[in-house]
Amino acid sequence: MMRTLAALGLVALAALAAVALTLGASVEAPANFRFVNGTEPTTLDPQRLTGQPGGRVVSAIFEGLARYDERSMDPVPGAAEHWSVSADGRRYEFTLRDDAYWSDGTPVTAQDFAWSWRRLQDPSFAAEYAYILHFVRFAEEYNLYGGQADRLEAVVETALPALREATGPRVAAVEWQRFAAEHELADLANASPDPEIARLLAAESGEISLELAARTVGREAKRRRAVFEEASRRFGVDGGVFATGDKRLVVELDAATPYFITLTAFYPMLPSPRWVIDVPGNELDWFLPEKIVTNGPFRLESWRINDKIRLVKSPNYWGRDEVRLERVDVLPTEHQATALNLYLTGGADWLPGSYPSDLVDVLRQRDDFYAQAGLSVYFYKLNTTRPPFDDARVRLAINLAIDRTEIVEEVLRLGQLPATRFVPPGMVGYPPPDSPIGLDVERARRLLAEAGHPEGRGIEEIGILYNTSEGHKKIAEVVADQLRRNLGLDVRAYNQEWQSFLTTVRNLDYDMSRYGWTGDYVDPNTFLDMWLTGGGNNNTGWSHAGFDRLVAAAADVDAFVRSGQASAIGWKRAARVERAIAAVESAAGADGRRLALARLRMEILREAEAILLQDGLPMVPVYFYVNSGLVAPEVRGFYMETVKSDGARGVNLQNWHPLRGIWIDRAARRPRLGG
Amino acid sequence: MKAARRSALEVGPGMRAWARLRRNRAAMAGGWLLIGTSLLCFVLPMLLGLDPQTTDPVRHLEAPGPDAWLGRDSLGRDYLARVLVGGRTSLLVGLVATAASVTIGVLYGMVAGYYGGWLDEAMMRLVDFLYGLPYMFIVILIMLLFSETARGEPLPVFVALGLVQWLTMARSVRGETRALREREFVLAARSSGAGDARILLRHVLPNLLGVIIVYATLTVPAVIILESFLSFLGLGVDLSWGQLVSEGVDVVNPIQSYWWLLAAPSALLATTLFSLNFLGDGMRDAFDPRGEA
Amino acid sequence: MSGLEFVLLLAGLGVVTLPVWLSRAAVRVVGSFWLGLAVALGVRATGAYDASWLFAAAVFVPVAALSWVAGGVLLLRRIAFLLPSLVLLIYVTTLLMYKAPGNPFANERVASPQVEALLRAQYGVPEDATEFFGIYLRRLVVEGTLGPSIKVQGRRVEDLLRPALPVSLALGGLALVLAASLGLLLGLRAGLKPHSLADHGSMALAMVGISLPNFVIGAGLIVVFALELGWLPVAGWGSLRHLWLPAITLALPYAAYIARLVRAGTIEAMQQDFVRTARAKGLPEREIVFRHAFRAAVAPAVSFLGPAAAGIMTGSFVVEILFGVPGMGQWFVKGAINRDYSVVLGTATIYFALITLFNFAVDLAQSWLDPRVRDADREAV
Repeated sequence: MMRTLAALGLVALAALAAVALTLGASVEAPANFRFVNGTEPTTLDPQRLTGQPGGRVVSAIFEGLARYDERSMDPVPGAAEHWSVSADGRRYEFTLRDDAYWSDGTPVTAQDFAWSWRRLQDPSFAAEYAYILHFVRFAEEYNLYGGQADRLEAVVETALPALREATGPRVAAVEWQRFAAEHELADLANASPDPEIARLLAAESGEISLELAARTVGREAKRRRAVFEEASRRFGVDGGVFATGDKRLVVELDAATPYFITLTAFYPMLPSPRWVIDVPGNELDWFLPEKIVTNGPFRLESWRINDKIRLVKSPNYWGRDEVRLERVDVLPTEHQATALNLYLTGGADWLPGSYPSDLVDVLRQRDDFYAQAGLSVYFYKLNTTRPPFDDARVRLAINLAIDRTEIVEEVLRLGQLPATRFVPPGMVGYPPPDSPIGLDVERARRLLAEAGHPEGRGIEEIGILYNTSEGHKKIAEVVADQLRRNLGLDVRAYNQEWQSFLTTVRNLDYDMSRYGWTGDYVDPNTFLDMWLTGGGNNNTGWSHAGFDRLVAAAADVDAFVRSGQASAIGWKRAARVERAIAAVESAAGADGRRLALARLRMEILREAEAILLQDGLPMVPVYFYVNSGLVAPEVRGFYMETVKSDGARGVNLQNWHPLRGIWIDRAARRPRLGG
Repeated sequence: MKAARRSALEVGPGMRAWARLRRNRAAMAGGWLLIGTSLLCFVLPMLLGLDPQTTDPVRHLEAPGPDAWLGRDSLGRDYLARVLVGGRTSLLVGLVATAASVTIGVLYGMVAGYYGGWLDEAMMRLVDFLYGLPYMFIVILIMLLFSETARGEPLPVFVALGLVQWLTMARSVRGETRALREREFVLAARSSGAGDARILLRHVLPNLLGVIIVYATLTVPAVIILESFLSFLGLGVDLSWGQLVSEGVDVVNPIQSYWWLLAAPSALLATTLFSLNFLGDGMRDAFDPRGEA
Repeated sequence: MSGLEFVLLLAGLGVVTLPVWLSRAAVRVVGSFWLGLAVALGVRATGAYDASWLFAAAVFVPVAALSWVAGGVLLLRRIAFLLPSLVLLIYVTTLLMYKAPGNPFANERVASPQVEALLRAQYGVPEDATEFFGIYLRRLVVEGTLGPSIKVQGRRVEDLLRPALPVSLALGGLALVLAASLGLLLGLRAGLKPHSLADHGSMALAMVGISLPNFVIGAGLIVVFALELGWLPVAGWGSLRHLWLPAITLALPYAAYIARLVRAGTIEAMQQDFVRTARAKGLPEREIVFRHAFRAAVAPAVSFLGPAAAGIMTGSFVVEILFGVPGMGQWFVKGAINRDYSVVLGTATIYFALITLFNFAVDLAQSWLDPRVRDADREAV
């Protein structure tokens, strides 16, 4: 008996000793600043990364040509000391700082940037964010044309002969269109200068000679192959982006792009250390603490998965005197109540958004709470490929039956704006188009009746799909209930976890599905180009040739005006655009023309959004986000409101808070819990 | 003691057990509470015309009052309705998953125990193998398997939980069946030419009732708890006690506590589990009186 | 399910149940083979010996020979069952993962088919489940690695699990000790005086542990001890202070089960003949309990410790999430939800090994506690 107890006691002691041993090893200096990052970044490779949690860390340890100033949120010189731009806005020359060093002591060079940007476009690297630099000369060609040529060649070599075998040398246009859609020919051959291609893709009646088709497609494949080869040879070497000296970098753009400088501070464009990545075996894990070399204000000291990332101030960063935090802990806490508890007990100093949303009434009364308009739209995609949403009237009816004000004011309660458009407000120079959306239950019912569904009859259960999350659940349940109450529809809200959700949405196996879209930069284009035909995030089956043409035109307005296509595009509501075109043509001087072009670009985008809202409506916009959270009063250099150099005030739309500018004012420390 | 038990079984095991159970006050109280809770969940919403779905966001998070006895949730829905209807799902999850696991376990155990030999060995090896699987993990994988088609229907949860709960059932049924196989009445039935199926259904199964009832009563609370874990992970059913409790946990906080959101479902959940556990213990004592004074 | 998958599954089941049909001599051979293989591969996988095949063979031969000569049939039979079980487990899990919708390469921005093919090749995740199973086994056996994680880029699964395992063991160990002591205490108190106030009180207390999901109990503990009283940290990892709340939360349901088992065991033991005899002899109650009845009283609880240990290890994910503990449990959930195939298989493998180990330890403890089990074992051999 005593033996048994003794044995049990021994086991217990051994267990406790093991506990003490595992815990004893970790003694480190406490951080000056800790924040909840919401999840663990999947990677810290700037070109590989997507998502804000990783972006926060990567932006602290790397520095781009420009960086965001924490007060104005404007791009200010980072690794580049200054830059100049050509008169047509297509050629930039950056001069890098002499005192910019990597953490291993290597100087930061222009070649580092050229190499990293080429890496972002490398077709075999397959970066998700590659598209963001496609306006740089040769970038898109290098990134995509090789793959497109491969697939076009496959069409010529295998698919077309197979079709010919089955149908004979000529096929009906309908049959041909089906073939073209199946092989995504429109996608593969977009923006081809070959008029034959356009004719082939547009063929709607008569018969198509398969031999002619094979020749035309083959020619396009060959052309793309040639363009790819040139781009592959030149991009990053002597075209698109290239070094003309260790400290001089040239960037050539396809067209003047107003947000280019801002993008150079965005994380996919941050430089990566080639000499570290090129070491065999390092390619996939060079960004782990024991290998990584960085050029930013902070260094990555340790990364204990599910525990924390520790950043420390870099001693050889050129602006080290301006960096005031010594040590920063990045916490991956996912559970919102836990995150809030950490903040309340001083375990974290900044809590961006991850608090239980039911507590918002109390939290918003606190001094340390902030809420400010953001650059995101919350919406439901509508599956236009199957009933009931294949009918535009039903889509509009749904849009008219949802009470966005109720959602914003009574459910979210943070000052979000009800969304009756898709592009969030706050875009300088962008006049929002008229919108047909708003609460009008009577009209919604009439529309349903017109569509053959009086009182919702003939519509089977509509599913509202959302990815698993407390917040999405609430909104989906309210929307379901509103549709139930207002239109008498049978609606069910249901959830899937992320990976299933993505698959379901991509397979168009849903009725309505939740989505959020956050702008990569402050420009309407980042909200509109997702609705292009076959766009990777469209996933609604919606396609509109006029819309596609407008978005393409906006990418290079200058060429658009010169080409004379402006009048040929044939839009319905063109008066404003016509005026803008006339303004460009009559503009005096290079500067005047540039301004007029910028205005025309916005008018064209506005027209595109008008089509999206009035002719398509493949979605239900619900609201525009606010960025909210808790930040301790002793945290300084943290701004939700921007002040530009000319004193103009604005909103920190993208919710960027460069760690470089943050510091702690101990005197302002106050207890966060109770009195 | 063995002898006493045997004779008790033959006189009428059900009656004896029932008599013993009735003397167990804790178990009886558990039983009554359980019946009460079930009535509440299944009947009261209909009687009062409660509606767990209609939202009224203006009245979000109203404290309990004469209008909504248990207050309102963050979308202004009547919390009493939600708690009761959620209880319906939880109880159903418990019952259906248990029924599934009992069916599988009993059939499997009876076959293994009755035929014995290598079949028994092989079948028990398989059970051993399945015991080695991290079951929660299998549940999660099964849930993912169904995630695309389920559309919030609770069926996959039933299936997943049922599929991992039958092992213990199968083992003990097998043990009992092996003992029963050698008993006089089974031997007699066999010599009179009865088929295996008939023997299993008519002679073996009734004598397994005790084991089955005991395990079933203890499986129901286990399943309900498991469902709440799934809800905590966001993989559970739409509206259940587990779901409500895991949401309620987030809003109990010193800075503001919407206590009814946690207290109401927790109280009902705890009462139910308490009752089931007491009832289960009582059943075990009643059917297997060795441990009791 | 494809034909090949079905055949492989059946074959796997066959191999797992094979020891049933084997004679004792054959079991010796098969068991020794598996044991030798496992030890050789295990040693190789540690990488300490430069992964030489010659070395593996040098380990295999003596281990296999030794176990063939000296190993108990019972042990070898178990091994001949367990190792194929592990392989079957990997295959079954692979099939389940591949049948689930979604794949690890699905991201918000869609990758072209070529890009996905590229990534699949890079991570060794082909589109066919059986092919992946082959790659995984080759990695495990030939390369001695659990493979790269897809969603935590740059790390192999062993890099993720190695730091998490001691965390889980520390948390689980403490929880197990707490559960056992508390359960023993309550169970003995209740069982020695059945139907007394002490009994009902102890049992009601124990019932609390199984009547609420433990995240509710955990949240309650956080509010009281961390937020209101400020005695312990709310979450995180790094000191002994971080350990108490999650360990208690994790322990409570198991303490309740153990208390119930000990109570029943005690009541039964106190009615055994030898206890009556001891009483008749006029031995003091204390001595009766501790000298005579104790072993019999805790035996059922001890047999529960195996599943309990396994449950504490595998069931800790809720507690880990609630308390932000960087343990193994999280991988178990995250791996599945992210479809991070290698992580899923790696955790499943480790858990299988742990469960096996615990059950084995419990069997040993049991045969030591209860002579009848020991004898039954001998008979079975």
